[in-house]
Amino acid sequence: MTTEVVGMTALPVGASRPRRAPLGRLLRSELRWVFRRPRTLVGIGLLGLAPIVIGVATLFVTSGVTGDPEQGPPITALGGSALTLPVISLSMLLLFLLPLVASIAAADAIAGESASGTLRGLLVAPVGRLRLLAVKMVGVMAVITAAVLVITVVAVVTGLILHGTSGLVTLSGTTLSLGESLGRVTVTVGWVLLQLWAVAAIALAVSACTEHPLVVLSTVIGGLIVIGILGSLPVLDWLQPFLLSDNWTAGADVLRDPVYTGDMGTSALRALCYLVIGYSLAVARMATKDS
Amino acid sequence: MNTKRMALSAAAAGTAAGVVGLVLVALPAGASAAPPNLPAISPEALVQSVLSAKVPAMSGSVSFDADLGLPIPGLPSGDKPIRVFTDGTGKAKLLLPTGPAEKSIVEDGKDVWIWNSQDQTVTKIDGGADKKFHGGMSEGMLADPQNAAATLVSEMRKDSNVTVDGTGWVADRSVYELVLTPKPTERTLLREVRVAVDSQLRVPLQLEVFANGQSDPAVKVGFTEFAPGAQDPKLFTFTPPPGAKVTERSGNDLPKPEEAKGLIDQLQLKVVGHGWDTVLVGKVPAGVLGATPQNGGDKHGFDPMQLIKSMGTKVQGPFGSGVAIKASVGTILIAADGRVAIGAVPQQVLVEALGK
Repeated sequence: MTTEVVGMTALPVGASRPRRAPLGRLLRSELRWVFRRPRTLVGIGLLGLAPIVIGVATLFVTSGVTGDPEQGPPITALGGSALTLPVISLSMLLLFLLPLVASIAAADAIAGESASGTLRGLLVAPVGRLRLLAVKMVGVMAVITAAVLVITVVAVVTGLILHGTSGLVTLSGTTLSLGESLGRVTVTVGWVLLQLWAVAAIALAVSACTEHPLVVLSTVIGGLIVIGILGSLPVLDWLQPFLLSDNWTAGADVLRDPVYTGDMGTSALRALCYLVIGYSLAVARMATKDS
Repeated sequence: MNTKRMALSAAAAGTAAGVVGLVLVALPAGASAAPPNLPAISPEALVQSVLSAKVPAMSGSVSFDADLGLPIPGLPSGDKPIRVFTDGTGKAKLLLPTGPAEKSIVEDGKDVWIWNSQDQTVTKIDGGADKKFHGGMSEGMLADPQNAAATLVSEMRKDSNVTVDGTGWVADRSVYELVLTPKPTERTLLREVRVAVDSQLRVPLQLEVFANGQSDPAVKVGFTEFAPGAQDPKLFTFTPPPGAKVTERSGNDLPKPEEAKGLIDQLQLKVVGHGWDTVLVGKVPAGVLGATPQNGGDKHGFDPMQLIKSMGTKVQGPFGSGVAIKASVGTILIAADGRVAIGAVPQQVLVEALGK
């Protein structure tokens, strides 16, 4: 039901325009524009190094594993196989660096254009505003998707180089085939993408409200830090299920066998709600923006 | 202008839908559902059907909540539930989350395998399917409300009023609420014990223990998901992963009879009273409490007696002096001479028990 609402917003606006640029061309030019930015490429490239660092680091920590479950993710115990390395890398990067990528892309998309004075031109161009917003959203989602896919591919390859196809062991002690492992990694990738798209939708709404890209960045990252703190206060237990980042460690649940879907399912639905809310607010702001 | 208004109303609708969705996701399902209409049943018939019920093939999630008013190490922690699978013929699998890691216990019908992902070790207990093994497995007991509740019900009938107090929902299944309250003569801190029994399968799905003066249960063990049905046989097999350290033990010598007897002798365990005010009296082996030179307290310089003193209050009585630690569901009294009494009772009952 919620996706229909989003679809509706884009349709009537474009339909009423007599002369409009084809959507395909708009998307192509936006994607070219987004992926030609050096900061996008450098950011994605640096994120791609993270799985290599994590994978190699686990090689050196072979002994001295303590049995204390409170000491953080058991990366040292699990090693960096082609199953665990992508999942662990994505889970770790989801906590800060990937939301940063999402908010930078969203900040550039509208507030950045505002700051450089190019948004004015786009708003009077023969492109519907909501169509423009949709194209911008697709551009942001594309950057996020590229970053996540680069991390995943590098992590899988690193895992295969370091450990081959052996040791695809789940937390529950079962051994998976390479195909099953890749299937589980795909589930985590989809789940992480949904969470980040939700962050991007909120960031896009903020981006539509300001002319300063830094405001977007500080609002989104600051907001994530604040809800992280709120979520850790026992008094605010009731608030936790409403917070986007409440179950952000759940991506590693694909390492349990059978997969534990409870937390991932809940947080995926929650991300979808935030995605709809964020995008709706962005639509409202774009529709009323002065050109 | 028209498009602007349409865009705004669509945005408002989208925001509202998102917020409603968020609330639906956040609120626990079925929390406010009306209790189901089930045919009336006498407590005797219900208890009987529970005791004779067989656990069907099923999968489920079990959560454990304790509000004892005391930190107790070793209880299941974290917000991930324990997952249970069984094929109904004795093969079973338990997945116990330990923080971000997992412990897996597989009973394949012949042997028991225990996998610990934290240190990548496997313990194989030959012939572990022997029932003796279950008695010693406290984590297994907690994750297995069927056994835990059935044992409790049969024991408690002697000193309790057993009633069926309406119906309810547990894990989206309709249940009868079997309530045990202590008879007025019982001197206990507990107000009632509530067992939710599945109305069809007659297996206990939830166990709640309420203490006097508490509206929330002090202990709550129960299924959050329960799905009867055939299970994948692959779940009940275990092959140690490559590289894991495997330790083999024989199921027969798990609780070595002589060792266990020696330990019990050393503890001088004694049960005083019966029913709700049962008190367990024992003696802590010399050297366990207090930092003696031999053990240095603990290798971390930890002195258990200091901790006990800081958590409890000093008590004087006919037995001498000691420290009492009170939790919502029970009391522990540790005398200066090493004698210990524990029970779901007020302090006075423990003082009397130590005097006997």
